[in-house]
Amino acid sequence: MIRLENVSKRYGNGHYGVIDVNLEIHRGEFLFLVGPSGAGKSSLIRMLYREELPTSGEIYLDEFRLSQLRRTQVSRLRRQLGVVFQDVKLLTNRTVFQNVAFAMEVVGAKGHDIQKRVPQVLELVGLARRRNNLPHQLSGGEQQRVGIARALVNNPVYVIADEPTGNLDPETAFDIIKLLNEINRRGATIVMATHAKEIVNQMHKRVVAVENGRVVRDEARGAYGYEP
Amino acid sequence: MNLNSVWYIAKETGRNLVYNVWMTLASVSTVAISMFVLSFFLVLTVNMTHLTTVLQNQVEMRVFINANVPRHSEMTLLKQADQWPGVRKIQFFTKQQAADSLKKEFPDQRDLLTLISKSNPLFDGFDVYTKNPNEIPALAVRFQHEKAVHNVVYEGQVVSRLSRLSVIMKWVGWAVELLLGLATLFIIVNTIRLAVFARRREVAVMKLVGATDWFIRWPFVLEGLVLGIVGAGVADLVVSQGYHWLIMAATGALPFWPMAPYAQVMAKTLDFTLIGGLVVGGVASIVALRRFLKV
Repeated sequence: MIRLENVSKRYGNGHYGVIDVNLEIHRGEFLFLVGPSGAGKSSLIRMLYREELPTSGEIYLDEFRLSQLRRTQVSRLRRQLGVVFQDVKLLTNRTVFQNVAFAMEVVGAKGHDIQKRVPQVLELVGLARRRNNLPHQLSGGEQQRVGIARALVNNPVYVIADEPTGNLDPETAFDIIKLLNEINRRGATIVMATHAKEIVNQMHKRVVAVENGRVVRDEARGAYGYEP
Repeated sequence: MNLNSVWYIAKETGRNLVYNVWMTLASVSTVAISMFVLSFFLVLTVNMTHLTTVLQNQVEMRVFINANVPRHSEMTLLKQADQWPGVRKIQFFTKQQAADSLKKEFPDQRDLLTLISKSNPLFDGFDVYTKNPNEIPALAVRFQHEKAVHNVVYEGQVVSRLSRLSVIMKWVGWAVELLLGLATLFIIVNTIRLAVFARRREVAVMKLVGATDWFIRWPFVLEGLVLGIVGAGVADLVVSQGYHWLIMAATGALPFWPMAPYAQVMAKTLDFTLIGGLVVGGVASIVALRRFLKV
């Protein structure tokens, strides 16, 4: 379970990214984080994978208390997480297979485990036939699938996605969401920040709305509720 | 760390070095140049020390006896002095023997030879050899206090000046080396920073999927160590060939000059340059990575 207790984030320029947020996310949930640009969604997401720390309050993720982690424990925390970005962050000089395998190599996975697991994940995201392509040979949607495959390959308990469909056309965006939904159905917890009104409204998942750094709405089967 | 990780790290190190080949060459040559300068001072100090030791071992003290002292007094003093602590060997010579050896040493100096033949102005005396060259000054003073002794001559001053000079050389060498070491450090720091910068996406992804700090650091640290050790190796190669040639040349041109043996010089050079290269390379990569890899 992820639990945020009175979490605030104040930046160096005095601006508050997040103000006094309390939130519980249970294992197996699919949660949309919505709100206007600059509302604090990305700040919250970055604090979940400990790219940033709260100025006050505390975030708990299973047995981890994020502000108290030593540097060596941060890598252990991140092995529980799969992170997906809007700009995907693929390594341009490596193939689809190598990009996904890279995530396993750097946590010291064995060679034969990599050879077994990467094709499975590529199959899941529908890119089995593209394994030897370089990122620039793929469409935006395919690139994002590689990003998702990379996030999934180490079997994370939580998948955290920061506007993963932001750069995609509506149809491709829907494919990505269906993929994330499938991953959620297989047991992973999904936390996804998004501007995609149509998607949120059709999925009927939990929606947490953020405005000016505060949580203003938390609905079990919510809707987007803004004009994006 | 398992075998997969070791293989991965070795692969990444090689990739870094090859991808940034010009920066690699720049770093290697900077390390090589600074290690060469270090070696130059090492060769110099090893040779100074060698020369000092050789001279110390050759040193003899010559004690001259007053002209009017009878032979039996000279012999008494000889026997006494032979028992003094620090005296290894003592030999008596007459002023006639002194004149003969002078004639042998300078056969072409006619005026001198005529002078000596007419009325020998030289003195009887002792050649004194010490157990330890450091005892020469004290022994000289002791001889000087004997009434029969005219004066004492020894090469101690040359030796002590040489030792002082080699100490100064050593310190100058270290100071120059420190400055060059810093310059090398900066260049390697920059090489590693470029390598990290070129691979910032990889590093970001590695951090996000939970690679440990040391797993990320190792390829860059290894890169620094390789740069340091290869640079040192190049310098050693040059010094080894150069000193070999120098010994050959010196044997022909200055046969009386005592050069320090090749093995002694190379042992010291290898020790210092290889350790120096490793230290500079290692420290540089740690410095370069400190800012970049904040998790």
